[in-house]
Amino acid sequence: MNYKLLAENVVKKALKLGADEAEVYLENGRDFELSIRNGDVETIKQATSKGMGLTVFKDKKLGFSYTSDFSDKSLEEFTKKTVQLSLVADPKPWNGLPDFKKGKIQDLDLYDSSISEIPNEKKIDIAKEVEKIALTYDKRITKSQGGFFGDAENEVIIVNSKGISYSYKSSGVGFGAGVVAGEGGDMQSGGWSTSKRHFKDLDAIENVAKKAGKRAVEKLGAMPVPTQKAPVVFDRYAGGLFWYGILFAMNGDSVYKKTTFLTDYLDKPIASKFITITDDPTIPRHIASVPFDGEGNITRKNILIDKGVLRMFIYDTITARKAGVEVNTIAGRGGYRSPPYANFLNVVVQNGSVSREKIISGIKNGFYVTGLRGIGTDIPTGTYSCGASGFWIKDGEIAFPVDGITLGGNTLDILKNIEIVADDIDIRGGLNSPSFKISEITVGGKK
Amino acid sequence: MKTYFKPVTRRKFLKTGAAGGVIIATLPIWKLCSCSAPPSDFYVNPASDLSKETLEKLIEIALQKGGEFAEVYVEYKVDNRVSLEENKIYGAGRGVEMGVGIRVLHGEKTGYAYCDDLSFDKLKQTAEVASFIAAEKEVRQPVGLKSSKIPSYYLVKVAPDSIVPKKKAKLLWKANSVGRAYDKKINQVNVGFSDVNKKIIIANSEGTWVEDVQTISRLFVSISAIEGDKRSRGYAYKGGTLGYEHYDLKLAEELAKDACRMAMAMLPAEDAPAGEYPIVMAKGRCGTFFHEAIGHSLESDGIRKKTSCFWDKKGKMIASKITSLADDGTIPGARGAINVDDEGTPAQKNILIDKGICSNFLYDRLNAGLMKAKLTGNGRRESYQHYPIPRMTNTYLMAGEDDPESIVKSVKKGIYVARIGGGNVTWVTGRFVFSVPEGYLIEDGKITKPLKGIQLMGKGPEALKNIVMVGPDLEIWGGGTCGKDGQAKPVSDGNPTLKVSKITIGGAKV
Ligand SMILES: [Zn+2]
Repeated sequence: MNYKLLAENVVKKALKLGADEAEVYLENGRDFELSIRNGDVETIKQATSKGMGLTVFKDKKLGFSYTSDFSDKSLEEFTKKTVQLSLVADPKPWNGLPDFKKGKIQDLDLYDSSISEIPNEKKIDIAKEVEKIALTYDKRITKSQGGFFGDAENEVIIVNSKGISYSYKSSGVGFGAGVVAGEGGDMQSGGWSTSKRHFKDLDAIENVAKKAGKRAVEKLGAMPVPTQKAPVVFDRYAGGLFWYGILFAMNGDSVYKKTTFLTDYLDKPIASKFITITDDPTIPRHIASVPFDGEGNITRKNILIDKGVLRMFIYDTITARKAGVEVNTIAGRGGYRSPPYANFLNVVVQNGSVSREKIISGIKNGFYVTGLRGIGTDIPTGTYSCGASGFWIKDGEIAFPVDGITLGGNTLDILKNIEIVADDIDIRGGLNSPSFKISEITVGGKK
Repeated sequence: MKTYFKPVTRRKFLKTGAAGGVIIATLPIWKLCSCSAPPSDFYVNPASDLSKETLEKLIEIALQKGGEFAEVYVEYKVDNRVSLEENKIYGAGRGVEMGVGIRVLHGEKTGYAYCDDLSFDKLKQTAEVASFIAAEKEVRQPVGLKSSKIPSYYLVKVAPDSIVPKKKAKLLWKANSVGRAYDKKINQVNVGFSDVNKKIIIANSEGTWVEDVQTISRLFVSISAIEGDKRSRGYAYKGGTLGYEHYDLKLAEELAKDACRMAMAMLPAEDAPAGEYPIVMAKGRCGTFFHEAIGHSLESDGIRKKTSCFWDKKGKMIASKITSLADDGTIPGARGAINVDDEGTPAQKNILIDKGICSNFLYDRLNAGLMKAKLTGNGRRESYQHYPIPRMTNTYLMAGEDDPESIVKSVKKGIYVARIGGGNVTWVTGRFVFSVPEGYLIEDGKITKPLKGIQLMGKGPEALKNIVMVGPDLEIWGGGTCGKDGQAKPVSDGNPTLKVSKITIGGAKV
């Protein structure tokens, strides 16, 4: 079936049924995943699926529906219902499709056609090997949570009545393992994985497996520490969750509604001068890169925070119009089941120039965070409070594992107290950060 | 946040990372349906065309490589939502999804395939893909399908799907006007009504053949308040496996007032103290604690794989003597109520902890089979795109005998948790963390100042032993959406007033 043609026909049909503007967002793809436990195949799952979301505007009123049923009869009914739904909404002057800047979609090299040709036997072998190496990493590793392999292909099509008709194909592939280590009544789990657009870009099996094993073993015997104020180093992989809180607080809709603590901070310093953050979904082959965003804008790099100064809130078109601001919009999309919304796509916190080891070696008594339980930041108040695990630093060295403590403070204070940013960023997902050091945070633990 | 890694597989990888489930009470909602006034297009759906013969044929194909067990799961789902914000109806939305998932079990192995195309050719292909998990010479004959009748625990007279969005909008307007008028400091009122209507058919090689129509609905009010540079949020909702007859203007008004009360109460909140304190949990509003911190560790997959902290604790004392925990899918109208689970097993009440003793686990078919245990009606899946895993339904701490007032009075300095928020737990260690959107300081037996930024931290097994007082006032209320292995599922929970003698509080104040 030609899905682009199908999408174009649904847009036409919606206009014919009375919509002033219409947009179809269509996805079509396949998924494969398998898991291994103790050397045997545990599950194999595969499928194809598709779906489309239809957004219509009539008299500045919004209607939205989605369906996975593409039969002629159903689509006719679906389109009619969506136009009817728009009648329920109130008109808003800012409603409507984006004003598009003409442009050409970049080829970001997001599709690896060889992935669909990998035989299942090879996928099984990879998952078995990553599990096996992880299990033999240390003799205290006693149980497996499994070895995994997965791959997927997806095509996204966006067509609207302003003449936009874009599509791109992407692939994804990855594997990983999870294990459990035990010693003296304590159990700890650890896991690691790699996922890329291209098979060739995947990390080595051995590295992924050893990292999974190490992450389980090194936590054995972890305990809370007494409550105190201490310098804290956020590890590059744990730091991402911290930044989520800041980014959610930068949502343009929350700013407009004054429900975020960052409401009044545009063009003001909110973090130490060592912090520069961009949203850049144009990195070739990267897993979080996309050629156009959730509403069909061609993607580009945006600077969100520049040397500590907040330069940009995050808006989609409708929110930006409502707020009356002229900005580069960034629209996310939760697949075909939701209309576009303001969101970041691929956040990169810029590297500093000091090694992580050097930062740790300069701390007499402090905490190295390698795990966070949640985002921590309360968006309305900016209060920071988050469960954490990691290692205690004593005289510049990692001394013992720590768990069951919380970090607490005020998010703005924490941002301003970022003293050093490390040079160790590993761009592997949609939110990427180097390690960084905060001069002081409240560590809540034992009395 | 979900979309960043798409299309890369998958949340499965996240499971190796760290935490387990998260209950998010505020996110778009799931529901199910059973209706006396059937909306036309929901009942005349393509999934209804799958005949007994087709189902039997698919099961036979799925077993052709020698699998031990085969199952076909058919789903047709319609969801509706209408929402109000900034004094305007934002919009109405509707979604339709259907598909078929086919599963083959062989020893510890699962083969699973699904498709969203109901043509017999595509279904046949799907069954073949699932069948390949086995490679045996001998092929089993499936048992012929026999349909079975099941009791209903849904309180649905008027299907929400049959109510036009304009009518639902009246509830939203009512809550909005009540919220706006409550106090000048209230600056945002968001209200939403949503319903999910789902028809499922389950047929398997042991002859089970059941259909169920499930409805879940919810009215949600969220309030923001602002005063100078202080901000706060309050929320309230009612929901469950409920028909539209459970929603009216009076309810909308009550919910709006309750959400406003919470926002206004939390506006002057101070930083919470960090350290170890006794806590009192308010009845009905803290059940999520038991779901997350304890319940997940009693699911049979982690028990069988020995990755749960309770894997070797059956029959042993794991909690204080006054602690009993149940999971019950048969509570009428509750958000986690089900007539059958997603494998066709009738729902039932299961006591998991009986006066401190670990007495049972939650089973799906695969784990019950491998562990030679009885089915408990807890094999659940998000949709046809997922295979079932052991999941909770409505989970609650059972009533005790301590007077609720004297429970608060017994605390010299501690925390009163009026409402618990989202949490997560690492199943291997039982370590948990919860946010507290509404909490207060207890001083000399009295509830005093509101506190912000409270995080409860600890280990499930330790917290269970530290439950020192339990009231008789059990209330099962609300609930949310539980996430596990990348699958979202509606659940509910409950608790009486109770006291935990010590728990670590994360806060900004030393
Ligand atoms: Zn859960």
